[in-house]
Amino acid sequence: MKRILINIDRCSGCRLCEMVCSFNSESAFGSSTSKITVIKEDRSGLDLPVVCWHCNPCKPLDNCPVGALERNEEGLVFVKEEKCVGCELCSENCAMGAVKLHPCRNIPLICDQCGGNPVCVEKCPTKALNYVEANRTEQPKLPKQVIEETLHRWGIIA
Amino acid sequence: MRKYYGYAGRILRVNLTKEQVKVQRLEKKLIAEFLGGRGFNIKRLYEEIPKSVQPLSPQNKLFFAAGPLVGTAFPLGARFNVSAKSPLTGILGDSNAGGHFAAEMKFAGYDQIVIEGKSQKPVYVFIRDQEVQILDAKSLLGKDTYEATEAIKKDLGDRTIQVATVGPAAENGVLFAGIFANLARPAARTGMGTVMASKNLKAVAIKGTLSINVADPRKFWKIVEEVEEEAYAHPQYWPRRIMGTTRILMLANRLGILPTRHFTSGTFEHAAEVSGERLAREYNVKNRACFSCIVPCSRTYVIRGGEYAGLYGEGPEYEPLSSFSARVGNSNLNLALKAVDMANRLGLDAITTAECIAWAMELYEKKKLTKKDTDGLELEWGNGEAILALIRKIAFREGFGNLLADGVREAAEKLGVGKEIAFHVKGLEIIQADPRGLKGYGLGYAVASRGGDHLRSEPFIELSDDPEKGRNMFGVPEATLRLAYKGKGKLVRYFENWCAIIDSLEVCKNLAGNMELLPFNKAAEISEATTGFHFTEEGMFEIGERIINLERAYIVREGIRRKDDYLPQRFLKEPLPNGASKGAIFEIEPMLEEYYSQRGWNKRGIPEETTLKRLGLANVAQNLAQAIET
Repeated sequence: MKRILINIDRCSGCRLCEMVCSFNSESAFGSSTSKITVIKEDRSGLDLPVVCWHCNPCKPLDNCPVGALERNEEGLVFVKEEKCVGCELCSENCAMGAVKLHPCRNIPLICDQCGGNPVCVEKCPTKALNYVEANRTEQPKLPKQVIEETLHRWGIIA
Repeated sequence: MRKYYGYAGRILRVNLTKEQVKVQRLEKKLIAEFLGGRGFNIKRLYEEIPKSVQPLSPQNKLFFAAGPLVGTAFPLGARFNVSAKSPLTGILGDSNAGGHFAAEMKFAGYDQIVIEGKSQKPVYVFIRDQEVQILDAKSLLGKDTYEATEAIKKDLGDRTIQVATVGPAAENGVLFAGIFANLARPAARTGMGTVMASKNLKAVAIKGTLSINVADPRKFWKIVEEVEEEAYAHPQYWPRRIMGTTRILMLANRLGILPTRHFTSGTFEHAAEVSGERLAREYNVKNRACFSCIVPCSRTYVIRGGEYAGLYGEGPEYEPLSSFSARVGNSNLNLALKAVDMANRLGLDAITTAECIAWAMELYEKKKLTKKDTDGLELEWGNGEAILALIRKIAFREGFGNLLADGVREAAEKLGVGKEIAFHVKGLEIIQADPRGLKGYGLGYAVASRGGDHLRSEPFIELSDDPEKGRNMFGVPEATLRLAYKGKGKLVRYFENWCAIIDSLEVCKNLAGNMELLPFNKAAEISEATTGFHFTEEGMFEIGERIINLERAYIVREGIRRKDDYLPQRFLKEPLPNGASKGAIFEIEPMLEEYYSQRGWNKRGIPEETTLKRLGLANVAQNLAQAIET
């Protein structure tokens, strides 16, 4: 399956990905309705986009109290809107911090890779986002670990 | 309620005296006449802040404004303007910053935020969409800009909140303290931070969850794609990505216009050691961008060895870097970075701070100041220890720093020496480019509505030294030759109008202007596609003209006349001693004549009644006539 991979050294933190993502589904620009979110730390100059990796196993899916999260045949996690009660447990359970709730509709915003042609990847000005083939069982590094390793590499923390 | 496109559609007024919050609808007339950002701010400033208001009194107001393209995918940055009556200059205070604060204002639902009155106790304002809270800031007092931003994010438990804060310098009443967003993105000029602190307001924190609609998405995306294509293919794209504005330092040195040792030289023999090229090669870590921008020209750096090893941060840009190196005669890059970092944390305008220090250094070198006057500091050119000590003293108004904390005009006035070498116009310290080798820029400093600054006109085309451009654009080949005088009135008028539009759309001048990605016709197209209001190329030019004239009317009402449109004596009398502009002086009178006539202003520098009426400012004409009589 394909996944959106992030090159943290390239991300400028411009959040254009959030803008094109939100517009793609809402026809309006808004950070709060984007399925990709850039974690920004001005102190260290670090910018880390987080987006659903469609991990397997997926803790939010396994722990959804109403079974509103499912996985399709391509391996992508998606939400069954009619089942979702907006309890926000998925958001708490996602170790990647990649799930937030839509501010009005109260359902989790989960990346669907735009059906195979993600606009965030297409529009990323620095090619920090890449859409590439990845092993189905591969697990992502947690943001905390990525951040720590990066700051070491940059010489910002010893 | 009618739906707004591009604009959020609301104005927020926070009255700190009454602890009251009011939301108003954005008026259609304001949009059609003033577009956004800087335009909105001057309109309200003119109407709400008369001559009688003292800058640091509760009657002064602080206006934050974003523009219609902010908070969309329009890829040329997203900025905000902050305006008030300036405590440093006594006239128009206005400054502009990038980063991510402006977009958050829009997502919270506001095009403009007005801070009125004065709080009894230290507070900060937290805005989350419609919910506005005035919160206690006692524990934030004395904290530097970095600490305060951190503390607020922690306090509110959300790291995605955008914070614009002041540092200790503002709290201590230094007249040139800025407002700092995203730590190192200040609206630093003209003392807007000082006004904020005078209201007992430490910070504005903001978080929004709303969305911005565009009127004609198909047209919007078409223009965005054109702009993107042009930007990526632009010859300046990679130099800007690699060096940001610091690339200018070596360029200015080659042209002999790099102000060195307080404008006593136009070249710096150590330029390469403090250049953007060296920063990029040895210090830079990665690039960062303002909201939604496709040219990530901001850089983060780490000092990897030597003095201040381990220091890291974002920036610096050309102005602060050049100010704390060439201007003060310092060839130590690590020290320059440390100085900029200190100015940011303490919340100072780096340009003004460096001018005050360089001014004192020149007086010290000329023996007009001694160690007795300077609290024992040896103010020799490039003395790093003294530079850092003075930055601190200024921020805390200690000893000799107290004298400098009112800006160079006041310092010279109080000290009674050095008036002729106090480099300011209308009380605002001049930037890092020597006008003797750039006549159009010089005229721009002289007439700029906020004082000695290039960002009101930025006639960069002069640097091309290409007479064809002058002939095509203005019918005067000399207009685009940097050392010629003819046609500069036309040049500056054109670029001032353009800058006013760029500042009102709140996009980036480096991209929209210098890279020529948003000329008047394109500005009209994208504004129309985004907002649904009808805009034309000529109409955009006229809005720019209207903004400039209203700003002029505002400062004329405050007492500004032709005599204030000047440059310091050194530029008029002493030729540049070296470099590619050697021998050049600056003659202002003929250029000023041409400029006034181009503008439709009289010989005293006052807009003619017919000019104001043509721009739909008839009531301003009337009001101004009364003000001048009395």
